[in-house]
Amino acid sequence: MQVLRNVFRRKVRVLLTISGITIGVLALVVMGSMAERISVMVSGGTRFYADKVTVTAEGGASMFGNSLLSLKKREEIKAVPGVLEVSASVGTLLDPEAGMSFGMPPILLGDDMRGDPYESFRIEYAAGRPLRAGELGSVVVGSDLVTRLGAEVGKQVTIRGEQFTVVGILDKTLTAPDMAVYMNLADAQRLFAQDLPEMIRSFVDVEDLVTTFTVYPAPGVDPEELAQTINETVSGVTATGPSFFQEQIANATRILNAILYGVAIISLVVGGLSVINTMTMSVSERTREIGVRKAIGASDRQIVRQFLTEAGVIGLLGGISGLVLGVIAATLGDIALARSNVDLFLVTPRLAIGSVVFAVVLGLVSGLYPSLHAARMRPVNALRYE
Amino acid sequence: MCPVIQAKDVHKRYVLGRNNYVDALRGVSLEIEPGEMVAVMGPSGSGKSTLLHILGCLDSLTAGEVWLDGRRVDNLSGRELVRLRREELGFIFQTFNLIPSLNALENVALAAQYAGKSRGAARQVALETLAAVNLPNHHQHRPSELSGGQQQRVAIARALVNRPKVIFGDEPTGNLDSASSEEIVALMKTINKAMGTTFVLVTHDPEVAGACGRVIHLLDGKVSS
Repeated sequence: MQVLRNVFRRKVRVLLTISGITIGVLALVVMGSMAERISVMVSGGTRFYADKVTVTAEGGASMFGNSLLSLKKREEIKAVPGVLEVSASVGTLLDPEAGMSFGMPPILLGDDMRGDPYESFRIEYAAGRPLRAGELGSVVVGSDLVTRLGAEVGKQVTIRGEQFTVVGILDKTLTAPDMAVYMNLADAQRLFAQDLPEMIRSFVDVEDLVTTFTVYPAPGVDPEELAQTINETVSGVTATGPSFFQEQIANATRILNAILYGVAIISLVVGGLSVINTMTMSVSERTREIGVRKAIGASDRQIVRQFLTEAGVIGLLGGISGLVLGVIAATLGDIALARSNVDLFLVTPRLAIGSVVFAVVLGLVSGLYPSLHAARMRPVNALRYE
Repeated sequence: MCPVIQAKDVHKRYVLGRNNYVDALRGVSLEIEPGEMVAVMGPSGSGKSTLLHILGCLDSLTAGEVWLDGRRVDNLSGRELVRLRREELGFIFQTFNLIPSLNALENVALAAQYAGKSRGAARQVALETLAAVNLPNHHQHRPSELSGGQQQRVAIARALVNRPKVIFGDEPTGNLDSASSEEIVALMKTINKAMGTTFVLVTHDPEVAGACGRVIHLLDGKVSS
């Protein structure tokens, strides 16, 4: 209590300083929660790709690229030693006119479901059931798209102008499937073909269209080596193992995280400087008090502890209020964005605790110089000070 | 019995700049016996406050020796000086110098806590000491809510709380009206008699000097009588 009384001796000044820390922590929490959201998404994706090889058309190794493959390649790939099963799929943007958006755009995925028995990435259903192979006109909807499509099990939804029956709704996975609509390969092929330019459409065989093969290695086969073998033996395709996806994503997120956290750290450093300023002023205003404390028996260490505690409390108060405001901002942000199906913020426990701890440490570090300055004063000089 | 305070040829030179210095003390020697109440008088600039600070281990000396209770103290380390200030010395000031954010009880308890007492024990001994300085009813008052005389009582309680051998006072009545001055002088006299605490008081006030058993006069950094 004595600490709080000392801290609030100059109310306006200390409140301004606490506001500085608050803004810094607010920035850290908001930016950090975006980074946390991305990292959860990425780690889900990394798990999804962990044990398989992805095959796309040569040169078109993007995740949702529209470069086309022929279903005929399936047999060729299946013949490669070490391949257990190959599933063919067509993946495309759910809404072809969709512009760029933060995170993943909603996608449409049609699959022949040959890989299902070997799939290690388990998805739970919030409602309904999984899609069956060859079940045309039916879809399973990812959790983030439920409101957007108005999906309900047993009801119809409109996808690219066609009616589909919803048979299942996925649980939230916090990664790619949340933003996906799943259907059978043939349905996706048809929708995909409709959208091709007139000239190209006349040349392609709709039932032969594939954008991606997913290769499930036989037990004991290293997916990286298998990808290498496929690249060497099958022409016209690019096979990538899990590490490709991991590296690509890791690089992208590393830069993004660095920017997000960088902005937050800069604002916290500014907050820290204002703590140094406040504590230095506080020490010089209380020079005489420090002299008195020493005259009545305070050791240097006790003086340091007193001022460090005050600086730490300023950091703690700023950290807590910044965290509260940050959580409010993230929650409001997600509510505002819920309409457009974007889930942008994720305040994890480690982020919450880390932010407050960081603010306290910042207060302590910033308070170190003023505290040592206070402790080093000679009692008689401090007493003479007016 | 050895003197509680002994100064041997103490010099203090303040260096202000190159070839510019002030000799505040030019060879002060004195002895003060346990239980004495001594006034130090002299015109401004005679070195009274400097002497008090050096005897009270708040300032260093340029030459000479200071002994407290038979032990040389002018060459002690910082840690030992802290222990000395906590356990054997007390200070009171002209402007009281209570800590404004703490109430009367906390101000007194603070000195006991610095000396290593637990919060509870410090509070207990602070209560007793406040009663001993006739201030039993103002524990929760902040310094700004107390009169000058009351503040100086709290300051005396703070100086007294660790039962020191010597209490140093720098113009303890300098900011008080005559009625409060009389009370404070009487209180110090009572403590001196009842507990045997030695008082060394720098003062201009003839009333304070009159209450002391001995007056040391300083002039130009030397003892004049």
